[in-house]
Amino acid sequence: MAESYRRSQWSNGLFVLPYLAVFVVLLAFPLFWGVWLSLHKVDLFGPGRFVGLANYGRVLVDPVFLQALRNTIVFVLVSVPVLVALGLFLALALNRTTRMTSFLRGLFFSSSVLSVTIVTLIWRFVFIPGDGLLAVLSEALSVQPVNFLSTSGWSLFSVGVATVWWCIGLPMMLFLAALQQIPNDLYEAAALDNASPWRVLTRVTVPSIARTIMLVAVIQIVMQFQLFGQAQLMTNGGPNGTSRPLVMYIYEVGFLRWDVGKAAAASELLFLIILVAAMAQYVVSARKSEASE
Amino acid sequence: MSADRSTYRPENMTANRTPLTIAAVLSVAMMAPVAWLLGLSIKDNMELKLGTDSVFELPYTLVNYLNILHSSQVFGWFFNSLVVATGQTFGVLVLSSLAGYAFARLEFPFRRTIFVIVLFGLAVPEQAVIIARHQMFNWAGLHNSYVGLILPDLSSALGVFLMTQFFKAIPREIDEAALLDNASPLRIFWKVLLPLTLPAQATLGIFTFLRAWNDYWWPLISATKKEMFTLTIGIASSQINFAQTEGLGFLSAQAVFASLPVLIVYLIFQRHIVTAVSGGAVK
Amino acid sequence: MRRFLLSTAALIALSCGTPAQAETKIELQRFFGACDADYGTVTDVSKAVGECGIITSLVNKFEADNPDIDVNVTTVEWPGYDQLNAQLASGAAPDVVSMHYSAISDYQSRGLIDPVDEVLSAEGISPDSFTDAARDGVTKDGKMFGLPFDNWTMLFHVNLNLMKEAGLVNADGTPILPKSADELIAQGKQFKEKTGKPYLVQIYANETAAYTRILYTLLQQQNSDFFADPTKIKLNTPEAKAALEFMKKIKDEGLTTTGLDYAAAVTAFQNGDGGIAVNGTWLIGDYVAQSEKEGTPLANGYTVYPVPQLYPGRDSTYADGHSWVLPHKDRTPEQTAAIGKLFKFLADNDYEWARTGHLPSVKAVFDKPEFKALPHRENIAEIAQTGRSLPAAVQRQFPIQDIIGEEAGAAINGDKSVDDALTSAESRINDLLANL
Repeated sequence: MAESYRRSQWSNGLFVLPYLAVFVVLLAFPLFWGVWLSLHKVDLFGPGRFVGLANYGRVLVDPVFLQALRNTIVFVLVSVPVLVALGLFLALALNRTTRMTSFLRGLFFSSSVLSVTIVTLIWRFVFIPGDGLLAVLSEALSVQPVNFLSTSGWSLFSVGVATVWWCIGLPMMLFLAALQQIPNDLYEAAALDNASPWRVLTRVTVPSIARTIMLVAVIQIVMQFQLFGQAQLMTNGGPNGTSRPLVMYIYEVGFLRWDVGKAAAASELLFLIILVAAMAQYVVSARKSEASE
Repeated sequence: MSADRSTYRPENMTANRTPLTIAAVLSVAMMAPVAWLLGLSIKDNMELKLGTDSVFELPYTLVNYLNILHSSQVFGWFFNSLVVATGQTFGVLVLSSLAGYAFARLEFPFRRTIFVIVLFGLAVPEQAVIIARHQMFNWAGLHNSYVGLILPDLSSALGVFLMTQFFKAIPREIDEAALLDNASPLRIFWKVLLPLTLPAQATLGIFTFLRAWNDYWWPLISATKKEMFTLTIGIASSQINFAQTEGLGFLSAQAVFASLPVLIVYLIFQRHIVTAVSGGAVK
Repeated sequence: MRRFLLSTAALIALSCGTPAQAETKIELQRFFGACDADYGTVTDVSKAVGECGIITSLVNKFEADNPDIDVNVTTVEWPGYDQLNAQLASGAAPDVVSMHYSAISDYQSRGLIDPVDEVLSAEGISPDSFTDAARDGVTKDGKMFGLPFDNWTMLFHVNLNLMKEAGLVNADGTPILPKSADELIAQGKQFKEKTGKPYLVQIYANETAAYTRILYTLLQQQNSDFFADPTKIKLNTPEAKAALEFMKKIKDEGLTTTGLDYAAAVTAFQNGDGGIAVNGTWLIGDYVAQSEKEGTPLANGYTVYPVPQLYPGRDSTYADGHSWVLPHKDRTPEQTAAIGKLFKFLADNDYEWARTGHLPSVKAVFDKPEFKALPHRENIAEIAQTGRSLPAAVQRQFPIQDIIGEEAGAAINGDKSVDDALTSAESRINDLLANL
């Protein structure tokens, strides 16, 4: 009987079938349909006509797309390292069991359970001019308040602050788990060598959790490339599009301007970009950890 | 993760209290916005219109919370979010466990090919498929329904990938013992292996629940009737032009009210959630 | 598949439904904000103030008068067209939707909304009962595609108390308003000097509509026919340059508030943070109510005028209006009848809506003594003649508004030169219109 378990049998495939059906219908098929749409001049409400790669051409010369692309890349380049570094720092600081640390762990993770609209509501109330917490504080300190949500540069920054606040819990937790997997003898050996805390960190801790660092970075890159809700609800992409991310561009082109073909083309391009960025990160980290071993 | 292993780190880190102090300071920054929201929620709307610095002064009031009770739709939205997130979590767990078991333990034609194709699905972001999905669901008449909100994310390959890894991590000897008793693959799955994956189920379940709970774009374009709004979309619909309509105090109270249940659940299950999330990193 | 799903749904509905009394249900979707906390149960419309309060209590009153009709209201984030598009695409559109006149041609040209002529005539509402501007706003190809509800323009809402302080009030108590662009700058400087506050309160943050409406107004006043061809905008013109440079100068001279979003700008004027709020007709009712409260910055010192003629070309202000449209769908005769009743009720109560400050769409309201008694209406009566919309054939007016607002904002805030902003706006809009 053991053989029937091990032997290749069609009936064994039945276990995969339910997922496979969902996968084909809701992922594979829409993916190809999306590509098909991107090759057509088609709006929200009716059939279109084949236009080849014209939509891709229109997207690639659209200054608004290029600006959104730049915004998104800047956002990822800044927010991902911050999330990784801050997450790692918190994990190191809280990697022991006391009342205080478990309270703080709980606190830093708690924001992750809130939905994006609550997070943006909270941060709008912090950033809005006049009535916001920062405006009230700067008035109390007689400092000229900054119009965070409507000044170019500051608006994307504000979206970033809200995002880090919202997303910091997961990296911290993943790092905490990884830290607890490091064998104690590594630290004991380092202690025998009288290594400085910094040296222990860079020579023992970080190399031991290199895989987790890579994992966290890839997860965050993929997530932050998909930035949408925070920007739409806090700044609406403004001023002058300086905080408009790619996903918001796709949404606007599709659902405000009805240009579904162009939106589909832009979303396929975003797909490619995420794929390349995640792969690059993976390859670089994998090579690094190989080199360090 | 072995619970009995000492979580203590060497003296040189413990002795240095600076990181902990900095973390404590950061926690204040973490809490300040929420404290501000709480403050706004217990102030009268009219008073806030004249200036929000009145948050630091008496009088306080619960009138905003009372208003929620008799006029806000937040209960309905909350219920919808709950149905969608629970349904999606359940669906993902069932599909991923079945598929993960088969990929990890069983042999069937094209197993490797199918697994590679599914892994490729990991790389497909929602944006690449959302417009086509929206059109498919138009055709099937599935928008503005729980099914329509639950279905799309069932296709996520992450769950299958994680469950495959978890099943692989279970020692072979366990199911081989069961095989000697002539158990069928289904029986082995159900009676022997599935109970062993409960921690993994918790991890995947919490991830899925949180993602479903916080989903924004799909419900934004699929749940367009207010009876079907999820909490995320409902709060979004009322937060624009706030000073002009409902008032800062009311919106704050609504946000507090909407977050309380998840926060309470989180506090109750905190220990498990931490273990579960951490478990996700264990290879 | 589809049929299967639908029939399953029908079965479930049959087995669970207990239609005791057949109530006719109308799904109504609108902007104008949500204010259920204050007006959720108010049926006495005369007690309501402001757009949100009045429309909420109007619907409450209608439901109270017609117990057999259930109006299910959904409020959307202004202007809500993205959501409506998603609904129309998925065949889940509501029965009645609030829509700007300027958006109607998009939907009418694709057959997405139904004409309302029969609904109106069944209730005995004649097209002639509406003002020309209102009727034209909803009429496409000779048919009416919505119930016109109002006409509106941007206005100069004046804080007389501050204007007095600045020495900008005539002997008869009326404010001294500028008659040219240069005069506006000069008076603004005088105001700023005397009061230490900005002359204008404008919506500058997270906003596109306000920039665009002012730019359109300034272009119209210079007789610039920027949409001579409705499929192509022309913004690389001396007139557009002059208008945008003037708007930029107001900001550069520190004569306007900056960084205020819509909500903040509304409250800032109320709190006396500036002399003149450049905002729409819809705020008159709110501001009048404020000025009747003693001890507030607006107390006994509020008035309102059209945007003054600042260029010699002609007196003109960009105008638009709100209407109620019917998305194309199958309706039962009961539903159509219920919608007719609702339309009749809204038209009959157009006076109440006009209390917001909007110009009535129903001619008869102008002759009502109550309307004539409303404060400041004689000051702004002329906008019925000077209000001008974009040519009706121009499509995608809301996306166009977003583009112009974004580019104009960039120029005014100094992120782009005026020429670059106009060139960029022109090419973006023309790309949009060329690819419909």
